[in-house]
Amino acid sequence: MRFELIDQVVERESDRLVAIKNVTAAEEYLADHFPGFAVLPGVLMLEALVQAGRLLLADRGVADRPLVLAEVRNVRYGQMVRPGQHLKVEVTLRGGGSAEQGYDLTGVGSVDEQVAVQGRFRLAPLARSGGNELEKQHNG
Amino acid sequence: MRWIWIDRILELEKAKRCVAIKNVSLAEDVLHDHFAATDRYPKTPVMPNTLIIEGMAQTAGILVGHANDFAEKVILAKISKARFTAAAYPGHCLRYTASIVRIDRTGASTTGTVERIDPATHESVPLAQIELMFSHIDRSRTNLAFPEHNFVFTDQLIDLLRQSGFAPAPGSTPAPGAIPTR
Amino acid sequence: MAETAEQVFDSVQEVLVDALGVDDEEITPQAKLVADLGAESIDFLDIVFRLEKAFGIKIDQSEMFPDNVLNDPQYVQDGKVTDTGMAELRNRLPHANLDEFDASRDVDDFSNVFTVDTVVKFVQTKLE
Repeated sequence: MRFELIDQVVERESDRLVAIKNVTAAEEYLADHFPGFAVLPGVLMLEALVQAGRLLLADRGVADRPLVLAEVRNVRYGQMVRPGQHLKVEVTLRGGGSAEQGYDLTGVGSVDEQVAVQGRFRLAPLARSGGNELEKQHNG
Repeated sequence: MRWIWIDRILELEKAKRCVAIKNVSLAEDVLHDHFAATDRYPKTPVMPNTLIIEGMAQTAGILVGHANDFAEKVILAKISKARFTAAAYPGHCLRYTASIVRIDRTGASTTGTVERIDPATHESVPLAQIELMFSHIDRSRTNLAFPEHNFVFTDQLIDLLRQSGFAPAPGSTPAPGAIPTR
Repeated sequence: MAETAEQVFDSVQEVLVDALGVDDEEITPQAKLVADLGAESIDFLDIVFRLEKAFGIKIDQSEMFPDNVLNDPQYVQDGKVTDTGMAELRNRLPHANLDEFDASRDVDDFSNVFTVDTVVKFVQTKLE
């Protein structure tokens, strides 16, 4: 599986981005979630919001570090998304934010106009490696 | 890619606490996309935090399901809070500890911590705190037609329990197609 | 335990911040749980659990959020609450301010009744 959760950007403003994630039976992990009843896992709906947020922030000059999910606040799940449907995600930047502090965003994902996921989250630059050997080996 | 984000269950105290681990490995496809090299940074394989949330959801979900002998379909309803203070890289082992705060007919609330363990030094570092809410779903709570049997607790998850040495009580795991009792 | 009005508000504020993932500043007495703070039905469950824990009280979900009144044909007709329905609501929710809702009686507007202040007053009645 490729860890790419955004298939198409539909709208783009300075503080807001709308995108689509297509859900297809070709995504192999769906056979496990769940057998006989395939639905997009909730955390992948959240990952779609995260990746949309990263696209929105792409031009903000966060320099040489990838942005990771630092915090999640009250993300709730509603309607389920099945193969053949698509999740429409909308992320909005909640004022301010900086490369050091990170960026607060609100996200909503819907399927056929019904809310599938909604909540707040923060993206922040992946910290440079500290003393840990494994960090140094994989994170320069 | 399989949808199983824990490798082994180390402890399971019915209706109280569950501890599980997951190894992070370059053998996993996702790490090669997260993150692939860009013009701003080199290839940086780091465990996606959403999949760490899923590891906690599976650990806590098994705890909640096991509390009712897997009679209920337990699904993730809400991520109340998740806070990450470190990152996990290939070679690290993640250790999930989940506790039930509250459980009743409607579902459960859980709280948990994730630690990152360095295999060479055995040093353990706090990585995240995650609070979740689960719902016990049934036909009356959603307009989706889903199967009668407990599709949530897959053969894969039940097998993981068994392989970890925690066999569900005989007769307590509904066979596929069985109608869960209330 | 004699809690002052301010202490109750502070504890309720903490509960709502934890349950709804909002900032302290967003919790004002008139803030509406649904329209302003984005609460969903799962959040109402979470709020009740956290209030029970914070104040050491036992709350029935329907005491705070009377779902069954709105689903009863005795009390609701054509999407509007009847006179009998309003009387029942006033009886069941002494802690809520129903005057504004009385003007429209539209079932879809009902969630606006639940403000931060409604929760504070509810807790105070339970602590008496």
